[in-house]
Amino acid sequence: MSTSVKTRLTWLFALVGIVAVITLGVLFPFDRNYYFIALAVITLSMLPFLAAFEGRKPEAREIVTIAVLTALAVAGRAAFFMLPQFKPGMAIVILAGVGLGRESGFVVGVLHGFISNFIFGQGPWTPWQMFSYALCGFLAGVFFSRSAERHSGFSSPLQKTLLIIYGALATFVIYGLLVDSASVLIWSSEFTWSAARAIYLSGIPFNAVHAFATAVFLTLLSTLIVERLTRLKTRYGLFQPH
Amino acid sequence: MRDADAFSSLHPAVLFGYFVLIVGVNVVFMHPLVLGISFLGALAYAAYLVRWAGLRKLLPGLLIMMVIAALFNPIFNHRGVTMLFYWNDNPITLEAIIYGGVAALMIGSVLLWFVSYNKVMTSDKFLCVFGHVVPALSLIFAMVLRFVPRYFAQAKRIAAAQRGIGRDVASGSWYARARHGSAVLSIMLTWALENAVDTSDSMLARGYGLPGRTAYTDFKVRERDFMAALALGGSGLVVVVAIVAGVLHAEYFPAYAVGDWSVAAWLALGAWMLICAAPLLLGLREEAVWRSLRSNL
Repeated sequence: MSTSVKTRLTWLFALVGIVAVITLGVLFPFDRNYYFIALAVITLSMLPFLAAFEGRKPEAREIVTIAVLTALAVAGRAAFFMLPQFKPGMAIVILAGVGLGRESGFVVGVLHGFISNFIFGQGPWTPWQMFSYALCGFLAGVFFSRSAERHSGFSSPLQKTLLIIYGALATFVIYGLLVDSASVLIWSSEFTWSAARAIYLSGIPFNAVHAFATAVFLTLLSTLIVERLTRLKTRYGLFQPH
Repeated sequence: MRDADAFSSLHPAVLFGYFVLIVGVNVVFMHPLVLGISFLGALAYAAYLVRWAGLRKLLPGLLIMMVIAALFNPIFNHRGVTMLFYWNDNPITLEAIIYGGVAALMIGSVLLWFVSYNKVMTSDKFLCVFGHVVPALSLIFAMVLRFVPRYFAQAKRIAAAQRGIGRDVASGSWYARARHGSAVLSIMLTWALENAVDTSDSMLARGYGLPGRTAYTDFKVRERDFMAALALGGSGLVVVVAIVAGVLHAEYFPAYAVGDWSVAAWLALGAWMLICAAPLLLGLREEAVWRSLRSNL
């Protein structure tokens, strides 16, 4: 079976799985069905991306580059452990997406969420963190990677400013909302708006610090990392979508 | 590497399946007795693995999480028929309080099982399970684990060299420190990416990506792994079937009701108890055997 057929089958499997889980959950409600449905949906939606990466048999250089970026993100989180929520991981995940493309942004995000929790503790929140990081990295690739590749870096200071704004917003809105929603489902039986509001409000300071940290690290690192990654990509012809 | 205890020395696939089963049932099925048993099992096994010294560090955080879970439900959930009192114009019901208590047990046992998971499923075991399924991602996973300590060592070296030429990260104005810090980061990044090119060349030279290559693993499947998988899998099946068929059953809203106590329900609870106690029992059994052999020498 060719790679693209396999990838398409994985997409089909994930889509059918998501529809089936939601239908089953609605038809036969059980305890904590919201938590279970949400968990199943995000796990299934990560599968096709990872299967596509795995299926195209990535080259040695691609594998090592992704490992380097993930390791920098994990080491960064460990280096700043004494400042809660002030961590460079998200900035590096986003820069992986900008410099190498959306697929790599997704993969680095998934791996960063997963591996850094080997140091900070796995728990019921891990899948949500993996998915949220991955989504932010993927979208960064969608919005910024083509222009970064064409200009071997940022086309203008405006482009860089836009990336910093994207990083802060994505961290606050996408990551914050998804991970806080997970907390609502972990802690209460169902998704009630009053419970959700309480969690979201108490999450604001944490998410604000996280978003600020992402903006700071993007300001410091983005030019450097994007230039080096795009150079690596064009020089060795890596990470070309098939 | 020496295993933490007898249970950890089982084959990684068995261990991974065990944790998926136990955390899955915990997260999805809110039954006071099931969760109570699971909580006690998780607490006992975690205490056995990390001893009192390790547990003492974990308990405050654990208790806070459990108290939040216990309070969260009655405050935000006003369903239930037994109204106790009003708090801020909101009815607080007995059912919501009971549900909060059970939710606290759920959170507590999941967190405690993850304490054991982190001790038992070390990264080499995780790789053994997933090395064949997702080889590229597993390879990245292994590399990251190696890179992180290496980057810390290299960052220290770079910072020391920079201090030697007067760019100390730890002294000077706030702005100077940030500038020196990002110089270290920039050097670090260049070094890491250059290193990556060397590593990948070396991988290619050794035949990475050629067909017919295998994944090395240090773990063998032994007879007792089959026995354990059979016993745990069988008990797990009993529990899951009992849950799906409604033999074990708990309802909180509108009124609190825990299912009828048939023989089948007790059987399922017994199976669940066996699952939750298995790691600790295996460990204690091995210690007892070891002691009896030693005293006979």
